[in-house]
Amino acid sequence: MKNEIKTSLGGKTIALLAQSIINGLITGSIYALVASGYSLIYSTNNFMHFAHGISVVAAGYMVYWLFSLVGIPFYVTCIITVILSAIFGLAMYRLIYLPLQKKGASNVILLIASIGILTFFQNVIQIAFGSGVKLVGYIEVSKGITFAGVTMTLLQIVILIISLIIFILLYQFMQKTKTGRNMRAVSNNSELASIVGINHIRISDISFLIGSALAGVAGILVALEQNLSPFMGTNLMIKGFTGAVIGGINYVPGSIVGSFLLGMAENLGILVLPSGYKDAIAFSMLFLFLLFKPNGILGKKEGRFDK
Amino acid sequence: MLDIKDLHSGYGELRVLKGIDIEVGENEIVALIGPNGAGKSTVIKSVFNISDVTSGNITFKGQDITSLKTHEIIKLGISYLNQGKINFTNLTVRENLTIGADQIFDPGTVQDGLEKVYTKFPDLKTKENELAYTLSGGQQQMLALGRSLMQRPSLLLMDEPSLGLSPKLQQELFATIASLRDEGISMLIVEQNAKKAIELADRTYLLEDGNVVLEGGKEILENEAIRNVYLGGRY
Repeated sequence: MKNEIKTSLGGKTIALLAQSIINGLITGSIYALVASGYSLIYSTNNFMHFAHGISVVAAGYMVYWLFSLVGIPFYVTCIITVILSAIFGLAMYRLIYLPLQKKGASNVILLIASIGILTFFQNVIQIAFGSGVKLVGYIEVSKGITFAGVTMTLLQIVILIISLIIFILLYQFMQKTKTGRNMRAVSNNSELASIVGINHIRISDISFLIGSALAGVAGILVALEQNLSPFMGTNLMIKGFTGAVIGGINYVPGSIVGSFLLGMAENLGILVLPSGYKDAIAFSMLFLFLLFKPNGILGKKEGRFDK
Repeated sequence: MLDIKDLHSGYGELRVLKGIDIEVGENEIVALIGPNGAGKSTVIKSVFNISDVTSGNITFKGQDITSLKTHEIIKLGISYLNQGKINFTNLTVRENLTIGADQIFDPGTVQDGLEKVYTKFPDLKTKENELAYTLSGGQQQMLALGRSLMQRPSLLLMDEPSLGLSPKLQQELFATIASLRDEGISMLIVEQNAKKAIELADRTYLLEDGNVVLEGGKEILENEAIRNVYLGGRY
């Protein structure tokens, strides 16, 4: 199909573009799930939780283990996975980051710790499950439904709908609840937040719980869509991080939009470039945004200009 | 009501306050003046337990609060109006006002307080759904003060509330502060404008290098040292 673009014109080209955009939306929705959790944690804690990638992969393997090996019904598996992911994230905060913070560790130290956690658990997964790829295959890769020249599989439709529902719920939570407002406040001005009586540790607890639950959902969808391998977390994390940087790392809706843009850029890019360049497209975008627009497209800057 | 005894405090290894005694009585406005780096803000931060107190005692209404957590101190009726980034710029005016109060009160009390603040500062009412960063400097200060008042403090700690305001707005602010005292709120105010501070306050402490070097009422305006060093150009 990729070669066709060079020989075809008109309707076919438009269909191909439409197909790429749809593919981009699906890739983007998984990136966005990774990015939203990551940026939720970043915005309230202000350090890079790169071990977020392992929350995604661990959730994927959890699905493989509980559903494919143990034989627990799929929906039950999903519920258990999301709950355990949330607890896993909270445990990383409480057992590693928070004790380090209490000893006065800088954010760079926490970043190094997070890379350490990521590497450690990637190896744990390799020891437990082996280095070969694993396939869950709950929803079969079907031929897909074609509409107006654009083909989508059932699985892709499910992925898109689930992530959209989750983003709407997340947005409502952040905008309408007291806890969501407290989280936005901490992210905007953490010093003032403690002055008005907001307990920062409680907000961090909640951000790790919710952010890691989102990673759990991402992990389930990854397990359905791709082959699982122990070291895939690094790549997922980089993609999620890139999406967050493009949209605005400190602003959860921004990181979601940025991830969709990244997904589309990758899929549109490989219309003209060999598909091996997908990662190169992502890295180039990361580079350009960090250099020229570090606050991202929607990232808020006005917090720095006060009074 | 606030009694600070032999307070040593600072940040990590940095020692700022070297044994100071400060008192704020019921319904009293007390000002802290002194050069930059004298430790004025650190006094307030020590009361609120956001600096590192190494020794000494802080009691509030007879209760030792030296090692209480910030949110516990707020519940006792102390509120802190900080300096610098004084509002949550990406939250609405309404959210900015309610956020402090609803950490400690039920929704009914919060709503009650909100209406009182809107009566006091009608500008905020007309902008209640706008994001705080759209407000002018004077409105920002009103918003921050409004948020503090919604916590119904009996003691209000203010760190340079007039900073960055025009002379006219400063005057309005000082009038508001005087009216708060009439409502029964005691205040401990750090102020860079020594003359204004002394005139406004019932008592003033002059801090230098982490020590109290002078204490007194409005009569210290006549003090030679104060006139020479702090009121020079302005008096």
